[in-house]
Amino acid sequence: MAFDHNRRPRAVVIGAGVNGLAAAATLAARGVDVTVVERGRGPGGMMTGAGQGELGHFVWNLHPAALAELGLGAADLGLGAEVATVLLAADGRHVVIEGEAISFADGTPHPDAAAYRALRARLARFAAVLAPLATAAPPRLGSGMLNRAGLSDLAQLARTGLGLRRLPRDARREFLRVLLSNAADLVRDELPDGPLAASLVFDAILGGRAAPGAPGTVLALLWRHAGGGRRRPAGGMAALARRIAGAAEARGVTIRYDATAAGIEVEGDRVRGLRLGSGEVIAAEMVLSSLGAMPTLRLAGPAHFDAEACRRIRGLRCEGTTARLDLRLAEMPRIEGLDGRLAGARLLLAPSVAAIEAACRPVKYGAIPASPVAEVLIEPGDGGAEGPAHLSALVQHVPYAPECGWTEAAREALAAAVIGALGTHMPGLPGLVTESRLATPRDIETMTGAPGGHWHHAELAADQMLTLRPVNGMARYASSLPGLWFCGAGAHPGGDITGLPGRNAALAAAADLGQGVTR
Amino acid sequence: MNRIARETVSPRPRVPSREGLADTPFEPRLRALSTAEDWMDWSGCLSPRALGAVETEYFAIRNQATLFDVSPMHKYRVTGPDAERVVNRLVTRDVARLAPGRVAYVLWCDEDGMVIDDGTLFRLGPQDFRLCCQERQFAWLHDIAWGFDVAIADETGDVAGLALQGPTSHAVLEAAGLALPDLRPFGIAEPEPGLVISRTGFSGDLGYELWLRPEGALALWDRLWVAGADLGLRAIGFAALDIARIEAGFIMAGAEFQPIHRALRPSRGRTPFELGLGHLVDPGKPHFNGRRALLREAARTPRRQLVMLDIEGTKDASGALVYHRGRREAGHATSAVWAPTAKRNIAFAELDARAARSAGLRAEIYTLKEGRWERTMASATVIDRGVFRPPRARATPPGRF
Repeated sequence: MAFDHNRRPRAVVIGAGVNGLAAAATLAARGVDVTVVERGRGPGGMMTGAGQGELGHFVWNLHPAALAELGLGAADLGLGAEVATVLLAADGRHVVIEGEAISFADGTPHPDAAAYRALRARLARFAAVLAPLATAAPPRLGSGMLNRAGLSDLAQLARTGLGLRRLPRDARREFLRVLLSNAADLVRDELPDGPLAASLVFDAILGGRAAPGAPGTVLALLWRHAGGGRRRPAGGMAALARRIAGAAEARGVTIRYDATAAGIEVEGDRVRGLRLGSGEVIAAEMVLSSLGAMPTLRLAGPAHFDAEACRRIRGLRCEGTTARLDLRLAEMPRIEGLDGRLAGARLLLAPSVAAIEAACRPVKYGAIPASPVAEVLIEPGDGGAEGPAHLSALVQHVPYAPECGWTEAAREALAAAVIGALGTHMPGLPGLVTESRLATPRDIETMTGAPGGHWHHAELAADQMLTLRPVNGMARYASSLPGLWFCGAGAHPGGDITGLPGRNAALAAAADLGQGVTR
Repeated sequence: MNRIARETVSPRPRVPSREGLADTPFEPRLRALSTAEDWMDWSGCLSPRALGAVETEYFAIRNQATLFDVSPMHKYRVTGPDAERVVNRLVTRDVARLAPGRVAYVLWCDEDGMVIDDGTLFRLGPQDFRLCCQERQFAWLHDIAWGFDVAIADETGDVAGLALQGPTSHAVLEAAGLALPDLRPFGIAEPEPGLVISRTGFSGDLGYELWLRPEGALALWDRLWVAGADLGLRAIGFAALDIARIEAGFIMAGAEFQPIHRALRPSRGRTPFELGLGHLVDPGKPHFNGRRALLREAARTPRRQLVMLDIEGTKDASGALVYHRGRREAGHATSAVWAPTAKRNIAFAELDARAARSAGLRAEIYTLKEGRWERTMASATVIDRGVFRPPRARATPPGRF
C-alpha cells in the first residue's frame, strides 16, 4: 500500500488501560492521529475494572520508558511514599517490612532478616539481567537476525548475555539453576517457613494461577518484581488512571468512552478501521488492541488468521484466579499486635509457604478455598459514600468457574472465608462489615473483557513469555493480519501496571508505518 | 516384462500376516482373486500391491479396464452454512468457482505455505463437500473450521470406493446398466440412489470412481465383474497403478513430497510452487491457510523444483542422484519407472531450481545384477510432466473401445 505522506496516518487503540494509553501517547508523539475507544465509563482497564472502581492496590513497576512517552515523570503520578508491608502471623508476632528494615511489629529484630535481605539482593541482581529484555520486542530468532533490522535484536540479546557474563561465576550458575525452578523451593532453601518466606512466594503467584511449587514461578518473580517497592496512588487507582489518560490527551490523543469495539474492518488482507457497537466505523491504517489475544482474534474474525495461529491462541492459558473483595466498615478495625501507624500498610494474609500451597489446591478441583491467602488494604473512608473505613482484599486462587457455579451461597462462602481468616487478627471484624462486594475472576472478565479475568490476560509462565507471548509467531506485537497489533498485557513483557507492552507495541507499529510498506 | 515386475514392485517387505490390518468392504473378492499374495498396508487397511503379475495389471489399465479398491482413502464430509468458506480456507484453489456436481484436484498448506496433502474435492451440493486424500486430516479440518458453522464427519469407513480405470471403463459401466455418456471429466453423477460416480482417477486415462455405502460394495463389484467379462476387466493392485500415475505425471504424497505434518525435519516441507503446482494457488481469493507465506514464496525464486526427467537408456532410475555439469549434485529422483506405453525411461526428480532450468543433467543409476552393483551415468533431460495423456481420457461422450 502506498503511503500518503500528505495525510496523518490514523490509528485506533482498543482499550483505555495503562497499555492502551501508553500505546496511544507513543503513537501520537510520532505524528499519528490516534483515537482510543474504551467500552467502560472511564480509563484504567484492569487497574480500575474499566472505570468501575479498582482491582489492584499498588503500583510498583510502572516503567520510566512508558512514562516518558506519556510525558510524565514519577513525581507527576501522585504515587506517595513506599508502603510498608505487614505480614500477619498466626501467633500474633506480625512482621513489618519497611524498605530494608525488617522487624517484628513490636520493634524486636527478626532473626531471618539478614537471610531475607541477601535473598532479595540476589533476586534483584538476577532481575537486572532480564530487565533489558522488557523494554523492546522479544528478539526474532533464526535467520531474521542477520540482517539490518535484526541488528538491534542482536544487540539486545548481547546486552542480556553480557549482563549474564558480568555475574560472578557462582552467581551465573545459580541464576541458570533457579531461573525455571519454583518459588517455594527457592525461598525455603534460604528461609525457614513462616510469614517472611511466604511474602516472597506470594509476590511470585499474585495475579496468576501457578502454585508456589510450579516450575517457572521464579521467572515470574524475577520478571515482575525487578522494580522498587509498592506505592499507593493518591486517590486510588482511578485517580492514577485519570492522570495517565490526561497525559495521553495532552499528547493529542482522542479518548472515546462508552464506545464498544464490535469488529475490525479488513479489506484486501489489511486492517482498514474499527467498527463500533453503534455501527460507526473509524477508518484507520492500523488497530492496536490492548484486549487479550482471543478477544482480538474474534474482533477480526478467525477467517483472517491461519489455523495454526487460531490453535495457539485457543491454547493460551488465561484462567484468572484472583478475586477482589471490598468491605465497607463501620469503623477502622483494630489489628491485634499492631499499632495504628501501620493502618495504611499492605497487609499480607499468608502465614506460611505451606499455607499458600494449601490455598492454591482447591482451585484445581473447581473448589472455593476455605483458607485463602490475600493481600489486604484498609483505608479510612472520606466520610462520604465510602463510609468510615474501607477494606479490600485481593484473594488468591479463586476458581474462575467453580464446580458449584458462582451462586449467591458460593460468593458468601468466599467472603466469609476471607472475613473469618482476617477476623483472627481483627477481632470484631465481622460485626463491622456494613456492605460487602465480591468480584470473582468471572466478574472481572465481564467488567474488563480480560480473558478468564486474568490479571495478565495470559498466565506469565515460561511457555507464554518473551518470544512465545502472546503466542509463537506473534511475539513482536504484529498479529499476522497486517495492520493489527497487540498492545496489551497479553503481549511482551506482560501484565502488571508497567505500560511497557503498549509503549513497545506502538514503537513497533510506528516503525512499520515509517517504512510505508505493507507487512 | 520380467524386468518391470522385478523393479517396480516396491522393495518394502511384504506384510507377513494380516494381523492388525482392517478388511475393506471388497476384501472377499480381492482375497479370492489374489494369486500373488502380495499385500500392503494402506492407511491401516489390507490392500493388494499386486493380485497377479504387475505387468498384466498395468497393461490392463492401458488397454482394457481395471478395478482398484480405493476404500482406504481418507474421506471427510464438510457440510453446513459455512462449508464453502471453510473449504476455501483450507485449500489454495478458489472453491467458490467449483460448481455443485464437480470435482477439483486441490492442495492445502500450513502457515508456512508447505503442502500438508493433496486430494480430490467433491462438491456434492452448495453446502456439501467431500474431501478424499492420503493423509489423516480430521484434526486439521477441525482446526481450520474452528469459529465456523460447519459439521465435519470422517466417512472413511462409511463410504466404499472403487476405481474403474482404463479405455473400456465406460463400456463396462454401460454393460452394467450405468452408462454415463454425458459425464465430463471431473463431473459427478448419481445414476442410482446411493451410488455416486465421478469421472476421476489416478491413471491418466478414461476412468471413473464409484462411491457407495459399504453394504452395497460386493453387489456392485459382482455387477461390474459380470458386465466386464468380455471387456477385459481385471482387478489390480497398487504397483500397476503406480506405474500408470508416474506415466500420467501425477505426484504422490510421501514420494514427490513429504506431507509437512508428518515430516520431522521442517526443511522437508515443500511449497506448491516447488512442486510445480503454482497454478493451483489462487492469491486473488480471500485469506486461506498459508496465503501470506505463499505470497512471499511466489515473489521469490523457489529453492527447488520438482520436474520430470527423460533418462537415457532403460534402467530404472529409482532413488538416483542427479548431477548437474559433471559432479555437482543437484537433486534426486523421487519416483522412477520405465513407462511401458510411452516407451520412455522417466522419473520425477527434485532438483535445485537452477539445475532444473538448464541442460547437462546426468542421473547416477545403480543396478543390482546378480550380486553386483553396476553404476551407470545416464544423461537426463527435463520434459513436460505426463508422457501419457491420451485424448480419449477427456473425450465426452467416451469412445467405445
